[in-house]
Amino acid sequence: MTELLLNSIVNGILLGGVLALLAFGMNLIFGVVKIIHLAYGQCVMLGMYVVYTLAVQAQIPVILSCILVLPIMGIVGILLQLLVINPLLKAKANPLTQLLALAGLTIVVENLAQVVWGADLRGINIQLPIISIGSVFVRTSNLIAFFGALLTLWGLYLFLNRTYLGLAIRSIAQDLDSARLMGINPRRIYLITMATGGILTGVIAAFFSPIYAVHPHFGGSFTMMAFIIVVLGGMGNLLGGFIGAFIIGVVTSVSGVLTSTEIADIIVLIIFISVILVRPQGLLGIRVSK
Amino acid sequence: MLEIEKLNVFYDEFQALFDISLKVSEGETVITVGPNGAGKSTLLKTISGLLPLRSGSITFLGHRIDRRPAHEIVELGITHVPEGGRLFPQLSVYENLRVGSFLPRARGEAAATLKEIYGLFPILDERKRQFADTLSGGERQMLAIARSLMSRPKLILLDEPSSGLAPRVVTRVFEFVHQIKSQGYAILMVEQNVRKGLQLSDRAYLIESGRIVKEGLRKTFLDDSYIRKAYIGL
Repeated sequence: MTELLLNSIVNGILLGGVLALLAFGMNLIFGVVKIIHLAYGQCVMLGMYVVYTLAVQAQIPVILSCILVLPIMGIVGILLQLLVINPLLKAKANPLTQLLALAGLTIVVENLAQVVWGADLRGINIQLPIISIGSVFVRTSNLIAFFGALLTLWGLYLFLNRTYLGLAIRSIAQDLDSARLMGINPRRIYLITMATGGILTGVIAAFFSPIYAVHPHFGGSFTMMAFIIVVLGGMGNLLGGFIGAFIIGVVTSVSGVLTSTEIADIIVLIIFISVILVRPQGLLGIRVSK
Repeated sequence: MLEIEKLNVFYDEFQALFDISLKVSEGETVITVGPNGAGKSTLLKTISGLLPLRSGSITFLGHRIDRRPAHEIVELGITHVPEGGRLFPQLSVYENLRVGSFLPRARGEAAATLKEIYGLFPILDERKRQFADTLSGGERQMLAIARSLMSRPKLILLDEPSSGLAPRVVTRVFEFVHQIKSQGYAILMVEQNVRKGLQLSDRAYLIESGRIVKEGLRKTFLDDSYIRKAYIGL
């Protein structure tokens, strides 16, 4: 039993790494563009279909497919900004309208996937070895995903902290008008943020592809998880999201082993609701008084 | 340098500014005084492009700027220090200054400008690693002014630099404004502290209910019995 528990904790931490990346993307878009990207998990799903199409249908080597998916998903992010978000911002749509538009987008993406790729499970069918450290067994693909996600997060940290562009992104998240007065063009920064968010869905899709087979409703649960993590950590708070991701990752994994996957979802939500009852602003969020 | 002709600005149906015409020349310090809600801040926000105008024209160094977005107006050399400073609270003092030099033409000179600014405001050098929201009110105002200088401006729009500050700190902030003025920048200032503001200025405008009701040199304003009674309290 203790071995089982230890295994599930380790795997939960490994899952947490990728979830942290997922939450980071959603958080970044929320912080800068002020839009809750409800189709974020669906974009990851789209990325996995792209990897599948390239690797299996077009017979391109898996590694190359996993690299090609990054610019493709970056372009998807840019298209989303131009076709969905810009019109919303231009119409000064209220938050509910924005939320509904993005919720509508999830339906569009899921059904599009069903039309193009069908309802069956699609996977790239590669088997990476399982390695054991003492009594703990981990899949190499999970290890790659975990360290790859941490490395990506580190890269993003450097980008946000060391470059003028990163500085512009952070300042626009804190005060839009003030950022405009510094000579920052919000439209351009939104586009760059959505492209970055899109590339991140490509990165996650690349890491997920050797682990999961994809189907048209694959994205929904990841949107949900990302959203829970973002709210749990405090909306817009990147560090909070990072911590939240590991909490949710471990809770999901451990309760999945102890009970069943369905019950695990319930336990995650109970923990989430309990935290929000005590701290409505999230773990590291700042309470906004009106 | 800056010429405003018959400017009309609305908030939806409510008209905030009526036929405002105003001028700032090279190296000049101009102050706009008037009661709360008269439209002084609106005027500055319209010049810097944060608010749209209904009619009229704004010309800066020969360029029409009244239909341009805010980030292009900064590029031409107008910087706006909003009321309360509007710093980026979760960026360090240094990062606030760095983002001030975001414009490509300012970036190349950022290191030199930064050195100049640390010379002018040594306290910012000492606190460069602190988050902006840990600074005192006076320090915040200094940082806001310093950040705007990082863009290498020609004209500085200064909105209520003394707002919310203790009297002793106000004196210091005005000393800084004076230092900046003596470096040759043109300044268009909005200020509640009419006496201190006038002492620093070359010319002044009085705005009431969105209209310019009086304009003139500093001396005429300081000697005007209506201004003295209503705004200086003598």
